[in-house]
Amino acid sequence: MALSALGTAGALIPAGVHAQTKTLRVLHENSFITTFDAYFQKTLAPAYEKATGIKVNYELASVGSLQTRVTTIAETGTGPEITANMFNWPFLYDERYVDLSEIAEAVDKTSGGWWPGASEACVVNGKWKALPLGNVGQCMVWRTDWFAEVGFKQFPETWDELLEAGTKLKANGHPIGFEMGHGFGDNHGWLYPLLWSHGAHEVEADGRTVVIDSDETARAVDFVREFYQKAMFEDVLSWTDPSNNKSYLSEQISCTNNAESILWAAKRDFPEIAAVTDHALNPAGPKGRFHILNPWSHSLFTHAADKPAALAFLRWLMEEKQLGGWLVAGATYYAPFLHAYDNSPLWDAEPRYKPYRDSMASSHLPGWPAPMSRAQSAVIARYVVIDMFAKACAGAATKDVIKSAETQIKQIYRQA
Amino acid sequence: MAARAERLPERASPGFFAALPRWLDREAVFSWAMMAAPLLFLTALVGYPFVYGIWLSLEDRPVAHAGVFVGFGNFIDDAEDPVFWQVARNTIIYTTSATLLKMVGGLGLALVMNQHFPLKNLVRAVLLLPFIVPTVLSTIAWMWMLDPSFSIVNWLLIYFGLAKTGPSWLGNADLAMASIIVINTWRGLPFYAITLLAGLQTIPADLYEAATIDGAGSLALFRFVTLPLLKPVLLIVTIFSIIFTFSDFQLVYVLTAGGPANATHLFATYAFSIAMNGGELGRGASVALAMLPFLGLLIVALTLYMRKP
Repeated sequence: MALSALGTAGALIPAGVHAQTKTLRVLHENSFITTFDAYFQKTLAPAYEKATGIKVNYELASVGSLQTRVTTIAETGTGPEITANMFNWPFLYDERYVDLSEIAEAVDKTSGGWWPGASEACVVNGKWKALPLGNVGQCMVWRTDWFAEVGFKQFPETWDELLEAGTKLKANGHPIGFEMGHGFGDNHGWLYPLLWSHGAHEVEADGRTVVIDSDETARAVDFVREFYQKAMFEDVLSWTDPSNNKSYLSEQISCTNNAESILWAAKRDFPEIAAVTDHALNPAGPKGRFHILNPWSHSLFTHAADKPAALAFLRWLMEEKQLGGWLVAGATYYAPFLHAYDNSPLWDAEPRYKPYRDSMASSHLPGWPAPMSRAQSAVIARYVVIDMFAKACAGAATKDVIKSAETQIKQIYRQA
Repeated sequence: MAARAERLPERASPGFFAALPRWLDREAVFSWAMMAAPLLFLTALVGYPFVYGIWLSLEDRPVAHAGVFVGFGNFIDDAEDPVFWQVARNTIIYTTSATLLKMVGGLGLALVMNQHFPLKNLVRAVLLLPFIVPTVLSTIAWMWMLDPSFSIVNWLLIYFGLAKTGPSWLGNADLAMASIIVINTWRGLPFYAITLLAGLQTIPADLYEAATIDGAGSLALFRFVTLPLLKPVLLIVTIFSIIFTFSDFQLVYVLTAGGPANATHLFATYAFSIAMNGGELGRGASVALAMLPFLGLLIVALTLYMRKP
């Protein structure tokens, strides 16, 4: 075989790899942290090419369009071999993804073990269909100076305290802004944790019983309506994911929920704002403190022409030298799912990012505690919970919006 | 004497390739030969997806999984989905308002363009711009103009003291619908104007002269000369406009993605959201196909109206 021709690189490639494999294509979404993408293109890809002769093409889809591309690739069976996933996509496309359990279990042993959230999204029917990369969590991003003006030196502990702070802040001309439109992340990022922290959820853990119509949900809806009226403003109803970044950096709002991209961009472009920005865990509700889980992972499509070569690449990528370096370039935007990185210096570079690591212990996928299913995906894709809150803020009665949400969820679960 | 049934010597039968040009020259054959390529093109790129879409809508078809035939199950689910009916309302309101605005505005614009004034040709070319600029780009520009933080419209309103804080163009459900109607009108007006202008120019000038001699004022000229002769063109352009507006996707997808809370979702954007984000291809196809009855009725009604003497 031509393996011998590859010399030392042959050690990286198991027997059976066609020596003709010259390129691998990896699909990602444009990262808010530009150094992350640059690290792959300028450091990882050339390193792999030098070691094995295989060129790795890093393709970027525009923000918000990755799912459409993955759907198209899964349907047509052509395109990049390796793709990034978000949320519960390993479940949606699992029949087109190769089983990666072998690599996942190997990494589990060598890198300190996976955080529980990692398997929540990547294991489908007992098989790892994706290799977790990191959690793009959501925490509170707040203006320490403006909060101090209204008497809050620390970030409010509970939602009620945040409402109190927000009311005063809005009176000072610095309202709070949480997304309630049809984006992909920031809307779920605070509404689901808020719902859970009031003890409410859509469907039970059995995946069948619809329990959205409850007193706890009503309390959550009433709270959000009051919060919207006293601390926010009408525009948030149409916000999508970049909106709160823009609003915060143009000093329109004093607080929002987000991943690290706001502080990262502020440090680069608006140092005066960065100096007075900090992160905090989500406020707690009567029934606890929760965060949204948004696991990014990598999967290998079944249509890949040369699976051994692709698997070898993924194995190489998940080694601590490569994965660690890449995550550092991402400035903890992708919080590592492996315990080996819990105390890594990656978190000391900017201590203000530590809440993102700490939030992982209380993070869950949208739709929790129901297990991943087509119905759960459909409920999320159709913004049932988001619109329930949004319509209440726009003036509809609590009873009506909950009933409407319940009807929709029941219909979706019945049909699945 | 019996005639000998002798066969006359035949000319040697011309070879196939020699006969081909003569055969092709026959009009029936030639016209079909010319149409073959476009027909093939249409079948492959329009017919096949359409039939496949119908097939998909009859299946329960999760993405990357095999489909299960469910007959009209998806359509029944659509009928029970409150969002589907909101989408239907949105689309009808959107199409009706935008088309009426475009019709009136386009006609007015065409009447003005029909006059003679300096730089007429330049103005005509510039007027076409909203229609020619790719929708995605112009919609992004509008997005900035209506942006909550950076809206130039709000800035002007505040500057002239007409408002304390600018309205939330994309956050308020009614204003969001008004916004997409306005942007669609802005984009589609040139289409109406240019087409109606062409129609206006085919009206013979002596008709106007004759009418003026008979004592008609400009309003009467318009009612009795311009409008009747313009009706066929008006109808064609309206049918096209309704079809494009009803199935509009780019404008809403870029501007609001259907929000706030489904207030601006149209059939096309809702179908896309269900299929691509939710992974339910069959249900998405059924929502897209739901446009057919509405559109079909509209076109039939308009065409019947035209046939009226």
